[in-house]
Amino acid sequence: MVMSRLQKIPVVEEKKGNPLARVFDDLVRFCRSRSLFILHYCTGCGAIELPPAMTSRFDMERLGIQPMVSPRQADILLITGYVSIKTLKRVILTYEQMGSPKYVVGICSCTVNGGMYWQSYATAKKLDEYMPVDLYIAGCMPRPEAVISGLQKLMDRIKNGEADSWQDYYRNYDYYLGNQQKLFGEDWQTPTDIITEAKHYELMGEGTLGQHTRLLEQHQQPLEALEMRLGHKLKEPVE
Amino acid sequence: MRPENYEAQRQPPSNEYELNFGPNHPGIEGNYALKVKLHGDIVLEAKADGGYLHRGFEKLMEQRLWIQNIALVPRICVPDPSPMELCYSMAVEELCGLKVPQRAQWLRVMQLELSRIAAHLFTFGGHAATTGMYSTMYWGVADRDLLLDLFEEFTGGRVYSIYNIPGGVRRELPEGFLQRLTETLDYIESRLPDYDNLFFKNQVFVKRAKGTGVMSREQALEWGVTGPNLRATGLAFDVRRDDPYLVYDQLAFDIPVEESGDAWARTLVRRKELMESIRILRQVVEILPDIHGPIRAPIPNPLAWNVPAGETYTRVESSKGELCYYVVSNGGPKPYRVHVRGPSSMHAVQVLEKMSVGSRIEDIAQTMFSLDACPPEVDR
Repeated sequence: MVMSRLQKIPVVEEKKGNPLARVFDDLVRFCRSRSLFILHYCTGCGAIELPPAMTSRFDMERLGIQPMVSPRQADILLITGYVSIKTLKRVILTYEQMGSPKYVVGICSCTVNGGMYWQSYATAKKLDEYMPVDLYIAGCMPRPEAVISGLQKLMDRIKNGEADSWQDYYRNYDYYLGNQQKLFGEDWQTPTDIITEAKHYELMGEGTLGQHTRLLEQHQQPLEALEMRLGHKLKEPVE
Repeated sequence: MRPENYEAQRQPPSNEYELNFGPNHPGIEGNYALKVKLHGDIVLEAKADGGYLHRGFEKLMEQRLWIQNIALVPRICVPDPSPMELCYSMAVEELCGLKVPQRAQWLRVMQLELSRIAAHLFTFGGHAATTGMYSTMYWGVADRDLLLDLFEEFTGGRVYSIYNIPGGVRRELPEGFLQRLTETLDYIESRLPDYDNLFFKNQVFVKRAKGTGVMSREQALEWGVTGPNLRATGLAFDVRRDDPYLVYDQLAFDIPVEESGDAWARTLVRRKELMESIRILRQVVEILPDIHGPIRAPIPNPLAWNVPAGETYTRVESSKGELCYYVVSNGGPKPYRVHVRGPSSMHAVQVLEKMSVGSRIEDIAQTMFSLDACPPEVDR
């Protein structure tokens, strides 16, 4: 069973700072929306409509959108179609490695509600239970025009400061982690320390810590166990 | 993942290391991974790591009606979906003893060959990109899009056409379609010399592809290699000619063969197959207006359709190789068991693992694209 989305704590946006800083923020957001790099990770069959959208005929590059091979330098994580459980682990690892601000776009019906594979034992049905999604592009599969139109909507949202799902991940980390633990088991760990990052970005919300993050600390392997497994000392004792 | 949390680990001095090649890697085709062990940049060992695209097709098909599965099967192989629906329809027809009308058979041939051209253009694009020639990728994908426009016009779907149903095809051709098909074929044929100059005769490609991923004819037969990859080792075997289905026995076409069995030969076989597919389509355009009649044999109410008990095995030649369906019915409204024998599960797992050994790391991507493996079909 997966927790209802209603239990999540809504994000309260407050306007602060002096007007000059706000103008500067608007400028930054405008520039940000005009140079987006999509992570080159094809998770499902929707990826076949991306080459036409990127190359000569529909040419997404004229909007400032380009593929990028490394998650650290990418802005958009496109989930192109169904995500099997094995892929979902990699998708979450990849998402946590991307630098903020980051945007998730779910392409194809499969990311919305399971689509064609609603009864499959191997796929995750609703993507937004495991990571926050900024925008869905429905269809099986959406045409390149639909992909481009969806990404233009995302650009508008970035420009207006509405695309803030990456903050949602920090503020409601407990909710997402709980759903991930239900799927992958209670000892599910990722190498990225989301709670420390949330403190760093000052995005600690009421939903950041909870019963599931407490479980995270419980299952955290002590350094000695890790050293036993690796067969050598990670940290030399200081003399 | 933060650098301050990690300290340099002391390793024994060695040049051997392991590397995860994929799934998030621009050189890999689709969502697929290889675990490779390297010495410097020479591959010592490669292990295929699939399952990222597993959806459990064979189980899903047991839970849906015979007619519903038509919409499901094209998803098995995304770049070349048409042979999937055709092969499944052929299996159901064989179980029911349905006789497909002549006109439907010609329409099916047209769809298959269009799909083959589209899949080959896409593969050339991907293969060129692995050797650093992105212009070919831009051209190949853009030219494939013209074929997708044709697909959209006569089937209603751009990528997944879902045009076949057991007993025939779903729609009649739109008016003036054959004229537009001829124009597109003329255009693609006029582009081929440009492709030759840009890609197939390009020394960057020839020097890298010659001698990469070599297999002999004996090895190919032993490993279960089919399709263009087998024909690149010198054996002229094509299901369209040797076990004809539809109306392929009434069509004139050659089976292109190369001898050397490396990445270059495999790509060249596909390049020649493109010409043969255009030749077949021109014959279809000539003959199709003279064939009249229904496009579909009458079938019972598809929502309450109990296919007679029995089992059957059908095979067609897809652009990747030999594609087979083994379908068992127990007389019920749903299939009892469906097994898909896709060509890519051999090419992408055992062949790729063995071929990568001894090659340089940058040639793995090229070997995979020259085998034209299709990861969704490997995992299913």
